[in-house]
Amino acid sequence: MARSASMAANWRAALASMAVALLLLGAAPRVAAQAIDDPLEPLNRAVFQFNLIVDNTILKPVTQLYGFAVPDPAKRGVTNFLQNLRAPIVFANQVLQGEREQAGITLGRFMVNTTFGLFGLVDFANYFGIPPREEADFGQTLGVYGIGAGPYLVLPLLGPSTVRDATGIAVDSFIIDPTIYFTDTSWRLARFGLTAVDTRYRYGPLIDDLQANSLDFYVAARSAFLQNREAQIRKNGGGLGDEYESIFDDSFDEEASDDPFEVE
Amino acid sequence: MTRSKWNEASESLWRRRTLLATALLGAAMPLLPVAATASVPDAEAFIRQIGDEVMVILTDESKTDPQKLAELKTMLDSYTDIDLISRLVLGRYWKTASDVERDDYVALFHELLMKTLAARLGDYNGQTFEIVGSQQVSKVDSTVATKIIRVAGKPPLNVDWRVREKDGSFAIIDVVAEGVSLVVSQRNEVGSIVEREGMPGLIAAMRERRDALL
Repeated sequence: MARSASMAANWRAALASMAVALLLLGAAPRVAAQAIDDPLEPLNRAVFQFNLIVDNTILKPVTQLYGFAVPDPAKRGVTNFLQNLRAPIVFANQVLQGEREQAGITLGRFMVNTTFGLFGLVDFANYFGIPPREEADFGQTLGVYGIGAGPYLVLPLLGPSTVRDATGIAVDSFIIDPTIYFTDTSWRLARFGLTAVDTRYRYGPLIDDLQANSLDFYVAARSAFLQNREAQIRKNGGGLGDEYESIFDDSFDEEASDDPFEVE
Repeated sequence: MTRSKWNEASESLWRRRTLLATALLGAAMPLLPVAATASVPDAEAFIRQIGDEVMVILTDESKTDPQKLAELKTMLDSYTDIDLISRLVLGRYWKTASDVERDDYVALFHELLMKTLAARLGDYNGQTFEIVGSQQVSKVDSTVATKIIRVAGKPPLNVDWRVREKDGSFAIIDVVAEGVSLVVSQRNEVGSIVEREGMPGLIAAMRERRDALL
């Protein structure tokens, strides 16, 4: 009884956020990589700062301890286990996107790793020569279906996102993920915490590097996130679009740009 | 002539015919309208050469890190058009900037790029690269797609290089890693600062960043 009530609540939450998102998006055209849609920038900057504080005071120290105290094979096991848990979400989205071959790889890896790989702790599929899995999620699926990103959003604790991708996270976590139907809140919190540490451990250097080498970390993170997301939706195919091409017009060649009589 | 001999002869004739047909088809191929995805051998060769040189430097165990860095910086200087990249990054603000601002900006951009390169050197961890293909994207530009191969089990990284041809020589003018373009990212950052604080604000922010990276 309690289980079905919480399930219904999950559905309601996911559907509600989806309805809001679709309302906001309307029939928004796909946003080009360079046109930044960030009407909530002041709020987003505040949440970004909040996330940085959480990172500095909790996540970073915990991750350093994790990196130092946990042996490498165990850390690999954690990564494998968490990635294997996501396999059903990835598989469902690859099916929704019509990516038959990739869905096959995801399913094959999941079967091999869940059994021979001891519930996903060991990436046995690797030894079997199954190619690495491509990632997929519901925000990407919506993008593949032609739905625009909508305004940029920085989510508390979860970081850079967009209206479309936040909707995707809700659908992935509360509807598609099969574990939602047989786990309780404490398990979900533990998984969330472990995922945060594992992700921070693996991508930390990249994030720190971006922070150290940017003039405005907020803008740098936003730009990198939105561009990378577009590439995931394009599946790295095609070009970056006309707006990108226009950057490289000859008009900025030395002779032209130094011409004092040139009119804008 | 026995039956089997005859069979052999006819078979070899048939084989020769197929060979001829294949060759003719091959010769006709360039006439088909595939120009949009045609590869650009010169640009590919340029990127391949740079990649090979970088690998030689990175994997040379007789050299210290500072030596490797010095060699990579020289390479970066000769194979990329950093001045053009810095102008592309500033975009429309280039036209309204004063000469002094332009000079300061280009010099700082150059310096910061070199410092970023230095910071990344330690990341090298046995990766190799392979060329996937290339494409002419404008009169003067082509892109060369490469894959950076990492340890087993990790998917390779897609890195595209935009190469500009000028008077028969090539220069890199953008790098796009997993869809993230260096020029676009820098434009976003620089644009947001200039919009808020003007050129003086941008130059001050760049100086501050440079001093922090010392």
